[in-house]
Amino acid sequence: MENAIVKLRGYKDGLHLIIKPKVSLKEVEEAIHELINGMNQPLEGTSVHIDMSTTPLTSADLMELETHLTEKYNLNVSGVNLIDDNEESPIIAAPAVHIIPHCLPTDNQQDYGHAEIVRQTIRSGQTTSSLTGSIIIYGDVNPGGEVVASGDIIVLGTLRGNAHAGANGRLSSVIMAMELVPLQLQIGSYVNRPPIGQKPRGYPEIARIGAENIIIVEEFIKF
Amino acid sequence: MGKVIVITSGKGGVGKTTSTANLGTALAMIGKTVVIIDADVGLRNLDVVMGLESRVVFTSMDVIEKRCDLDKALVKDRRVEDLMLLAASQRNRKDDIKPEQMFDICERLREEYDFILVDSPAGIEQGFHNAAAGAEEAIIITTPDVSAIRDADRIIGLLQNQNIDPISLILNRLSPTLVKKGNMISKNDVLDILNIDLLGVVPEDEGVIASTNRGVPLVHNEQSPGAEAYMRIARRMTGQRVPIPEMREDNFFSNILNWFSRK
Ligand SMILES: Nc1ncnc2c1ncn2[C@@H]1O[C@H](COP(=O)(O)OP(=O)(O)O)[C@@H](O)[C@H]1O
Ligand SMILES: [Mg+2]
Repeated sequence: MENAIVKLRGYKDGLHLIIKPKVSLKEVEEAIHELINGMNQPLEGTSVHIDMSTTPLTSADLMELETHLTEKYNLNVSGVNLIDDNEESPIIAAPAVHIIPHCLPTDNQQDYGHAEIVRQTIRSGQTTSSLTGSIIIYGDVNPGGEVVASGDIIVLGTLRGNAHAGANGRLSSVIMAMELVPLQLQIGSYVNRPPIGQKPRGYPEIARIGAENIIIVEEFIKF
Repeated sequence: MGKVIVITSGKGGVGKTTSTANLGTALAMIGKTVVIIDADVGLRNLDVVMGLESRVVFTSMDVIEKRCDLDKALVKDRRVEDLMLLAASQRNRKDDIKPEQMFDICERLREEYDFILVDSPAGIEQGFHNAAAGAEEAIIITTPDVSAIRDADRIIGLLQNQNIDPISLILNRLSPTLVKKGNMISKNDVLDILNIDLLGVVPEDEGVIASTNRGVPLVHNEQSPGAEAYMRIARRMTGQRVPIPEMREDNFFSNILNWFSRK
């Protein structure tokens, strides 16, 4: 079974559907059919995570797979993990479509709508923090500079330094920047950093915690 | 009332002393009255670069400790009129001077001279704070390398907290050939990060080392590209509008794009 195209595994956070790398959508769907039909337990209504590598399924494939699982087997897809083949940082490996927002842990007990506005560039050696809400920066955060917030961090400029959102443990916090080329991102106690030498992409991006508590970055389109 | 401008960088060896000597000389050559102050106490070398080492009798320490008058401590330049040097004590340490004392010296000089340029030591400690104490404006020197830019950014933050304004930038040692090959951080990359006004770009110039060794600032040798750059910067400092010539940067295509969008 080790070489099966799809496997179902139970993990702490629920059921995972693990898809072997380098298979086509058709093969995956057939394998799922076999797997589920061969089981003596009904799966209807259960939530599953999809674990897969980046290639060669496209995001359109993924969406189709999700519909397939929902409609045919009545499964809820609660998240998609991308396992990158090249063991690169997942920050580049996970584009937008693969994040399914309702699987994000939320705690809306506190009011994080409150935001502090900082009208300056945060330069090397400078720190700006708000432990009572979010921060909006009208400027850049340069390498060696740091922004810490218990809520979200929005940089209306280029984020080149460090940002730590959800500093009190609010894992649904996000970090957004017009250009996101940070040295390091932290949300709650999870840390991630982009590959060295990453170039700005020329569009806004947003970082949040996705499945498996990995900080993922996607193009920012809307909240 | 003259202007007190601190010339600083954070990182050492990026051209603060070279720039102070050349800008001081250039400003005096275009008719301004200038004092250049060496604030690098304990590691002075502005006097050496100016070729005035043997003429230094008193230093700023002697003025502070009232061993001589300020006027008497100023060393006249050998070549240009109205250019004075206030040397740093070599025996003392940077924290032997207090920011108030430096401020006081600068205030007194401002009444008589058009420009007071303060050559800052490297670092962000007491020596830097002393150098900046009397300044209302700052010129940041950086070279196009990551660590110099990082330090410059740190310094800009510190100066902004002290309400020093404007803070402008000289990008030193830009090598046209390396930029052309794409092997060097370009002017625009530097400006993107530091986000302050560009006062000028000084190219890498072998003449700098030769002139340092002879104790004759580069601007005396009109042929060199470095001298031209410093002369242009000096004129900008006096309020003249002197364009910053473009070095060919980036690649062929971005140049074409620039050319189109300028039309
Ligand atoms: N534009 C330049 N081209 C070539 N060499 C330079 C240039 N600017 C500075 N240098 C050299 O770099 C070294 C450090 O310069 P210096 O002015 O003493 O730096 P700092 O005062 O910032 O420590 C000196 O040897 C100087 O000759
Ligand atoms: Mg020096």
